[in-house]
Amino acid sequence: MNGKEQLDREITCIVCPTSCRIQITGTMDEPEITGYTCKRGLEHARNELYCPMRMLTSTVKILGAKFRVMPVISTKEVPKDKMKDCLEEIYRIQVTAPVQEGDIIIRDICHTGADIVAARSMKEAQ
Amino acid sequence: MKTIQVDLAVIGGGPAGLAAVAEAKRQGIGRVVLIERDLELGGILQQCVHDGFGLHRFQKRMSGGQYAEAFIRDVEATDACIQDNTMVLEITPDKKIYAVNETEGMLLYECRAIILAMGCRERTRNQVFIYGSRTSGVLTAGAVQRYINMEGYLPGRKAVILGSGDIGLIMARRMTLEGMEVEGVYEVMSSPGGLTRNIVQCLEDYDIPLHLSTTVVKAHGRERLTGVTVAKVDENRRPIPGTERYIDCDLLVLAVGLIPENELSRGAGIEIDPRTQGPVIDQNFMTSIDGIFAAGNVVAVFDLVDYVSETGEIAARGAARYLKEQKEGNKEGHSAHTYKNVTAGEGVNFVIPQKVAAGELTQDMAFYLRVKKPDERVVLSCRMGDETLAKKKERFVAPPEMLVSRVQAGCCVDNDLTVEVRKEVPHER
Amino acid sequence: MQELLANIKSDARFEQCSVSASISEDGIVTLEGSADSWRHVVDIGHLAASFPGVVNVVNHLSAEGVRIEKSDNTQRIREARKRGVIASADVVIVGAGISGCGIARELSKYDMRVIVVERNADVSEEATKANNGDIHPGHKAKPGTLKAKLNVRGNELYDKWQEELGFELVRCGQVNVAYSEEDMRGLEKIYHDGIANDVPGVRMLTKEELLKMEPEVPGDPMGGLVAPTMGVVEPFQVCVALAENAAENGVEFMLSTELLDIQVMEDGRFQAVTEKGILDAAYIIDCAGIHADEVAQMVNDEFYTLHARRGGIAIFDKRVTGPYHHAMSAMPRKKDAESKGGGYARTPEGNILVGPSAVEIPDKEDKSMEESDFDYAYDRGKSIYPELDRRDVIAMYAGIRPADYKEDFIIQMSGKVHGFIHVAGIQSPGLASAPAIAEMVEGILKEDMEASGRTVSVREDYKPKRRPQVQFRRLSHEEQDALIRENPKYGHIICRCEQITEGEILDVLHSPVVPTTVDAIKRRTRAGMGRCQGGFCQPRVVEILARELDKDWTQINLKGRGAYILERRSR
Repeated sequence: MNGKEQLDREITCIVCPTSCRIQITGTMDEPEITGYTCKRGLEHARNELYCPMRMLTSTVKILGAKFRVMPVISTKEVPKDKMKDCLEEIYRIQVTAPVQEGDIIIRDICHTGADIVAARSMKEAQ
Repeated sequence: MKTIQVDLAVIGGGPAGLAAVAEAKRQGIGRVVLIERDLELGGILQQCVHDGFGLHRFQKRMSGGQYAEAFIRDVEATDACIQDNTMVLEITPDKKIYAVNETEGMLLYECRAIILAMGCRERTRNQVFIYGSRTSGVLTAGAVQRYINMEGYLPGRKAVILGSGDIGLIMARRMTLEGMEVEGVYEVMSSPGGLTRNIVQCLEDYDIPLHLSTTVVKAHGRERLTGVTVAKVDENRRPIPGTERYIDCDLLVLAVGLIPENELSRGAGIEIDPRTQGPVIDQNFMTSIDGIFAAGNVVAVFDLVDYVSETGEIAARGAARYLKEQKEGNKEGHSAHTYKNVTAGEGVNFVIPQKVAAGELTQDMAFYLRVKKPDERVVLSCRMGDETLAKKKERFVAPPEMLVSRVQAGCCVDNDLTVEVRKEVPHER
Repeated sequence: MQELLANIKSDARFEQCSVSASISEDGIVTLEGSADSWRHVVDIGHLAASFPGVVNVVNHLSAEGVRIEKSDNTQRIREARKRGVIASADVVIVGAGISGCGIARELSKYDMRVIVVERNADVSEEATKANNGDIHPGHKAKPGTLKAKLNVRGNELYDKWQEELGFELVRCGQVNVAYSEEDMRGLEKIYHDGIANDVPGVRMLTKEELLKMEPEVPGDPMGGLVAPTMGVVEPFQVCVALAENAAENGVEFMLSTELLDIQVMEDGRFQAVTEKGILDAAYIIDCAGIHADEVAQMVNDEFYTLHARRGGIAIFDKRVTGPYHHAMSAMPRKKDAESKGGGYARTPEGNILVGPSAVEIPDKEDKSMEESDFDYAYDRGKSIYPELDRRDVIAMYAGIRPADYKEDFIIQMSGKVHGFIHVAGIQSPGLASAPAIAEMVEGILKEDMEASGRTVSVREDYKPKRRPQVQFRRLSHEEQDALIRENPKYGHIICRCEQITEGEILDVLHSPVVPTTVDAIKRRTRAGMGRCQGGFCQPRVVEILARELDKDWTQINLKGRGAYILERRSR
């Protein structure tokens, strides 16, 4: 999207339970943001506009454990538009038990700066 | 039959039970046993791969497994006995527990105190009266979660979700990320059942529509589900004739509410609150039977695990005090106190605890409550007659979010209490 | 015949119907034409059947707006024939419901080869499993009918079945309550029928006697009727027990095997064409439930038509025990079709059960529970137990009653095709009558075999007792402890609601009629039958089934083919 294209978006603010509906019009270069009721809401809207970030949680295939998959989580938020690439990489991975919670499964996934770590320990199955 | 004497038995190794055991050991209770039916501790947390746990307690966004692991490490560092793969079959009013496992057979625990932490179960299609045929492809959200997140299987291609509570929303995202199609989320109430954060990050992020005041009225198919009929509902939640719509799908996911699991409690003769479906408890989370405490979702369905852990700790401290008084030969429990009732007042659906021992509060006390409907600019207060014991302004309240009202230590309770949520009046600002 | 047609024409209800009728020498009326609704198709059928001299009714009427899909089996039959004769038997029984399994078990004592073919993945999958489990005393059957005779006899024989097969049978007795003069007259009629049918112990109750017997009866009752021989069973348990004992005695069960066609050979033997191949048989016993008329048509013996009457049932949480010792019923406010009106009972496991409803439906496969079915069933419960709360419902289901237009059982050697035995129209009280039906069919077959010079004698190694089943939940804690020491798998609870252990599931997986689906495990062990309806135990049952049957999880079905639970692996 170039900086001049007209925006017409509405997002729901998740900063607090009030759940303000925030309208974003104007352009990427000069957005007009309305509908927020606090400073944090405005900041949230800007983040959502320029670089929305999300935590990434999923599972990876694991061998030799009681279960077939093991939960993983990103160490920090990753850009929303890189989620798909990240997930594809996660789906390709296969680990082997035992795994400790916090073990790095993928370092710096898709150059996001976030690591994917084991979200729980998994023992070897008897 | 093997008989084991313990000071405290905690039933259930989910978040409430884990927190209770860790706190019980910190409080110096001697012989503590944690009885868990599964092979491992953590309970339902282990199938929650999503994040959002521990925001209050750890100021971190953890997944269910991470949150569980933090407590499991605490518990494993103590000398508490972890009795996993063991199912409790019966609790008697005199605090005997019958439990079985494969290696030891029947175990009889003679307990001085018990903390119930069995959690809750999901409501099924029959409890929300979805008519039609009994096919495969109709599953509760929890079962879907287990199949996908723990077992690594997908239970269908195209899903309809009934219920917009957090579990329904979370599963909408999970299924989408796993490559399944989620046709939509349907909610019989006129407002969403889950947190806004989840509506945004689980539905809006993935363009999954949420249909309010709409429910699934019928399931179709012979062997496997082939579709569902949805219909708009009126203000009494009755389907409106003529608004039916058929949706092609092979999976119906039910996220239609949780019920505290109190079959063991009922068996012991513990008084159950028909509103919460959990035991009636006092400020120490002690039930109607002296020395039997309850914590977490077995008491009432909390939505935040942080609160569940907190109640585990309150119950453990209550149990510690009870055991100490007993050891010193003092009267403790119901014979030692007179109780004042706590009522859900204006705007409040339910409040726990339901009763408080009269006298000066020796420590801060939390009331957990749910409001009846969404509202803005309200005052949450705890009143005793004309006296206000606690007051807090809330900018926005809604039924999905549990509220806490804290009354400070030192308050003297000598009358019944009412917890209420009223519209803020201008002069109060 | 003209009189019948005139009657139909003069009936205002049937104004929009165009009907022609013919009657055969042996009293079979055939109806052709069309009606404006399915209800009227059924009503006209009943009207025809009620005419003096009419033995039964073949109803070919179509209903406006109702299309009944008939699958074309030509291709499947051709393919099945290619497989050739895969087995040869003395008797092939079509259908493994309560009738088929009861007959199979009765015949298993003789030196003959018996094969049961069943299209579903398990026994008892149709009307049997969706039955309310009443072992009716027999006072509600019309005197003089085959039903009345077999019901009373069947009820009497249940004790022996119970003793040999080890299922649960509770002789709770049944009390009917009257609130009006009209109700009292209704009960008196039932009482007199009961006397005419030789039902033991049936008697009228004064208000005082009634309230002494059941003090919690609500409102202001005028009196009642008691039938002490009423019993309740879990119907699927009886059916499985029969099948297992039959199999222990050598009967072969071919499950997931649909019968496609029957050919009568020149030598009088049959070729039963199943999807797995051809079964050669001297006798065929048609116990195909709602499809019995279609099976009879395969040998061109069409002299009755079955119509599907759906019955919906609701089951309540065990926690709700109710105030009654007896199965209870207040007289129905309005007569609903041919139903006995349903009622209120507690199953042997202690769940309150209400219903069933009774709705005529065109589609024989439509086991969909509708709101109206629930409302009816619930009302039957509320009328006698007003405190009943719909929030305590844990399960609802519907089944199909296979009714003919005479509303009686049809049990006879075919008049047209020797060796083909009809067991049709076995609707309520089919479960109660099952032992007597089995006895009667055994008699027909034995007589015919002996007439053709064959000696039919009981095998020396016949074992009428089924191997005992472990029911962990019913044992004392001491017994449970001892059991686990013997086999640790009894120490692993799989279904928490009903307290069902892995040991019990493994037991049934090693039984003579191996369950292969989650529902089949449920019927045999009760795993998944409690208040959470398998929410907790289903993944665990799937795991055990996959492990024991050496299959992938995706191959484990809830019930028959197509009812898969998991679609694919995620990684």
